[in-house]
Amino acid sequence: MQNFKNLEDISKKIRRLIIDVSYKAGSPHTACCLSCVEILVALYFYKLRMKNFKKRDIFVLSKAHAALSLYCTLMLRGFLSKKDLYSFYSDGGKLPAHLDRFTNKAIEASCGSLGHGFSIALGMAYGYKIKKDKRKVFTLIGDGEAEEGSIWEGALFASRLNIDNFVVILDYNNLQGYGFVNKICYFEPIKDKWQAFGWDVVVIDGHNFKEIINALDKPNNRKPRIIIAKTIKGKGISFMENDLKWHYYVVTKDIRDKAYKELL
Amino acid sequence: MRNAVINTVLEFAKKDKKIFLVAGDAGFGVLDQFKRLFPERFLNLGVAEQNMISFSSGLALAGFCVFVYDIIPFLLYRPYEQIRNDICYQRLPVKLIGIGSGITYAPQGITHYAVEDIIIARSLPNLIILSPADSFEAKKCVEFSLKSKYPVYIRVSKNIKENIHKEFPETIEEPILIKDGKKIAVLFYGSISEEIIKVIKNLNLDVKFISIPMIWPLNFKKLLSLLKNINIIITVEEHFKEGGLGSIISEFLLKNNIRKRLIKLGIENEFIHSVNNIEGLRKKYGISSQDIIKVIKEFYG
Repeated sequence: MQNFKNLEDISKKIRRLIIDVSYKAGSPHTACCLSCVEILVALYFYKLRMKNFKKRDIFVLSKAHAALSLYCTLMLRGFLSKKDLYSFYSDGGKLPAHLDRFTNKAIEASCGSLGHGFSIALGMAYGYKIKKDKRKVFTLIGDGEAEEGSIWEGALFASRLNIDNFVVILDYNNLQGYGFVNKICYFEPIKDKWQAFGWDVVVIDGHNFKEIINALDKPNNRKPRIIIAKTIKGKGISFMENDLKWHYYVVTKDIRDKAYKELL
Repeated sequence: MRNAVINTVLEFAKKDKKIFLVAGDAGFGVLDQFKRLFPERFLNLGVAEQNMISFSSGLALAGFCVFVYDIIPFLLYRPYEQIRNDICYQRLPVKLIGIGSGITYAPQGITHYAVEDIIIARSLPNLIILSPADSFEAKKCVEFSLKSKYPVYIRVSKNIKENIHKEFPETIEEPILIKDGKKIAVLFYGSISEEIIKVIKNLNLDVKFISIPMIWPLNFKKLLSLLKNINIIITVEEHFKEGGLGSIISEFLLKNNIRKRLIKLGIENEFIHSVNNIEGLRKKYGISSQDIIKVIKEFYG
């Protein structure tokens, strides 16, 4: 585990930023942002090739209600100024609650409505593949989002297209807008479903860097891959974990201070 | 007209390797040659329209010049939100080729008709709306779409029997004078040109006919110059009467306090339950050539 100390430190920083910006902006979706921190850190601080920006690997945040998590990551990665980050969600600010690609060059696609970013990313991956461009395309979808018909439309076609430069990560925190995913729909067996659609499926602990990185590094074998990342909604702040209300509740000063104590 | 569109796409695809054609499980007999010549730049994304539109916007983000081909209700209505967010909001110059404008799919039924597509397309900022009247205009529309930095929706008739033009119009970016006249102006677009051809043949009156292939944005300046000294306008459209060209013109006249009489001919805003062919439906809704002539005569005197 010692190898990942740096990534873990960055994750902690991002969690602190999420809490602080949420508090200042008065924005919801705090817990949705916390479940995918390690995934974003592994992508932006390990996996994505971005040195040559014109030929960079692509990441599309399809579960764009976690935009703040991406903004915080991009700030630490040097794509966003602190000033812009703290203008999030505020009147006259630079960064909207959901993604608008015209706000920053590192925002690859405008997303917000669920089930869109997945297919946009799929189209991009196919485009780069037939151009023989070596760029890889990653996208993060939510588990509630995976109820969208468009996800399954794309899933049905992706494996037929031999797309080996496309990796989907499912943020499986088992909590959606108004309840537990597995109580709302017949979600499981989710691994079998994707396998039946012709995908290469890997199931991991979405907070464990070793597992995330292994799954990201595993070469695609002429198949699109989905990484089913088991996560905890509100991860890192005990009183937010697995609690539906933190999909919506606003962080107050007291809450922020209480949360900070857990993020030392 | 469909062939004029696809042949133009094909012609340009030979020179431009970025041109990509996506189909929603439509195009039998129409797209075959494209598919054969450029298999790597053709995809049938099946009966899955939401994914088809988002996927196409992804191809555009990856640098391709994307045409999407499908029957209008499945191209524009089913994946409306994907067009709104992924193409128009992201301002990607994807070209949407919609087949079966108006009731040209008759007698397939209302599920296959496109009688409210202008209303829907008008609600989408950044989207340019083109509705060619014949093969000449259709080719020019495709050429325009290739230069456009904005998304373009081209509504195409299933079939068109006769061209209204004898040669290519200079531009489709403004209203086109088809026949000059002083007393009344008839404005039309798209497949209803078939009826307009018959009207022009059978009517010996001093009436002006104007084709409007670019419905949005509409070049009102040019239109006004064509309507100079004319006080009676008749709009004819194979589309709902409320919400299409007639409404666009009436909004413009009202906004600019221009006093002209406007008579709107079109399909009633209702679900079509009756089983009719194209001719039957045009008669039912008062947009056949005889109906148009009757209205012109009524207001001519």
